[in-house]
Amino acid sequence: MTPWRPDAVCIERSELDTPIARTVRERVPSSMIHLVDDARAVTPGEFAAAKRVLMVQRHRGEFLRYCPAGTAAAVCCNYLVLSLANSCPFDCSYCFLQAYLANNPALRAFTNVDDALAELDQVLRAHPGRMFRIGTGEWADSLALDPVTGLSRFLVPFFAERPNAVLELKTKTDSVDELVGLDPKGRVVVSWSVNAPEIVTAEEPGTASLADRLVAARRVQDAGYRVGFHFDPLVEFDGWEDGYRAVIEAVFATVDPGRIAWISLGSLRLTPPLEGVIRSRRRSRYVLSGELVPGVDGKARVWRGLRIRMYRSLLQQLHAVDPRLPIYLCTEPASVWQRVMGEAPVDRQLGTRLLVRTTW
Amino acid sequence: MSDDAVRAYGRGRRFSDATMQRWLRHAAPDREAMLQLAERLRLGENQFRDLLDVLEDIASRQESAIATVIGTEPVAAVLARGLGRNETLRALRHALRRRRYPQLVQAETAMADLARRLRLPAWTRVEWPENLEGDELSVTIRAGSATELRARLGEVAAALARPEVDEMFRLLEGE
Repeated sequence: MTPWRPDAVCIERSELDTPIARTVRERVPSSMIHLVDDARAVTPGEFAAAKRVLMVQRHRGEFLRYCPAGTAAAVCCNYLVLSLANSCPFDCSYCFLQAYLANNPALRAFTNVDDALAELDQVLRAHPGRMFRIGTGEWADSLALDPVTGLSRFLVPFFAERPNAVLELKTKTDSVDELVGLDPKGRVVVSWSVNAPEIVTAEEPGTASLADRLVAARRVQDAGYRVGFHFDPLVEFDGWEDGYRAVIEAVFATVDPGRIAWISLGSLRLTPPLEGVIRSRRRSRYVLSGELVPGVDGKARVWRGLRIRMYRSLLQQLHAVDPRLPIYLCTEPASVWQRVMGEAPVDRQLGTRLLVRTTW
Repeated sequence: MSDDAVRAYGRGRRFSDATMQRWLRHAAPDREAMLQLAERLRLGENQFRDLLDVLEDIASRQESAIATVIGTEPVAAVLARGLGRNETLRALRHALRRRRYPQLVQAETAMADLARRLRLPAWTRVEWPENLEGDELSVTIRAGSATELRARLGEVAAALARPEVDEMFRLLEGE
């Protein structure tokens, strides 16, 4: 995969001397860089066009939030999201950001990483007895901008020294060059969203191929990181069982199962606004044609019985590789957990359990 | 048939620009098939949009064209039946749902079949969640007095001991 490069970069004048902005200026030709007073005043254009221009700016607001996917109706893994970028250069057909950022689609990298880490440090110090799982891959791909911003060089050393937190860098890229030279000391998990080859090709334009993602996963494992895999979104299509079997075989032909921190399974879920955006953009081959029905939380998912069948199929194949793999379901109610996993952990219990294999 | 006819239909029914753009984005044979359907069933915008959603999804699922979906069984059979407008619409939605949700409809049909096999009295109703999106069955017993309710409850309890009930729950669990 060729690392992503923007068509243009707008840097806030006041942020020019921040480490992130300095890195961007070193790595992007100066002819592509424009200085602006306030990136918020720049009109980003429509969703796809907005992804081609990188705003390098100060973040005004809190950095740390609870994962927005958690609802009272679902078993939650107690995940925290650290917001250091907004939007993503890729354009996956099913991405929730299409609806979430519809009115503000600019691709933003935040410069005040020191503020973010100070905010985080305060929380970690205030709760020394609690273990935190924190990710940067909710509002953005954790590594897509790394070749341009070098953000990992700030995050990994910070988490490497924190005894009560684990950072998850979640990605669909193979951009791990920055990571392999750093020592995570057991505190950083690099995880990949993986999908059937048909889905990667048709629905995830611009992202690394499955093979490239797995080669990158092996590289970071060899460099001392634990890795994770998110089979999410699971898409129901003609041949899904073979498609996902191929993914599982490819994963375990490449990585060491003993150094996997966690694996999640999550069915495709679409809010009504997201479904509307996907229809209007007409870029999806498989996403809308699955047997999706509205659930109690208003999101459309594959109907429950078929969803359970899909989860069981993947779970069975994963357990055949290693029955001790830490596997969890994302945003599913206790009743589905019970049917698939034979148990329904409470939220805190699940979060704690997922941390067991991240440290050594 | 020209796009003018499509636009004229949309204008006459005051379709929104967004719906018209969606319609006109389709290939000519699909646009025309949708126009024939709209004219035949005098579709308003919401009805048109709902049908277009389903037809697009089926076409995508089957890797075929909307015109093909409309022109083949079971949709073509519904349109050929000569029913009135509302009955045709209802039958069309039913036929399209079978194509759109083949596995779900199969499971729902199996559920209904199991419920029938319980041979419950007319004063009892077994219900399952819409789209099988849930894990509970409900059984309603109607009675006009406490004595009648107690008697009917005993009668139903015997019927509910049959293995069909276990199978119904297994269906909800995707088995």
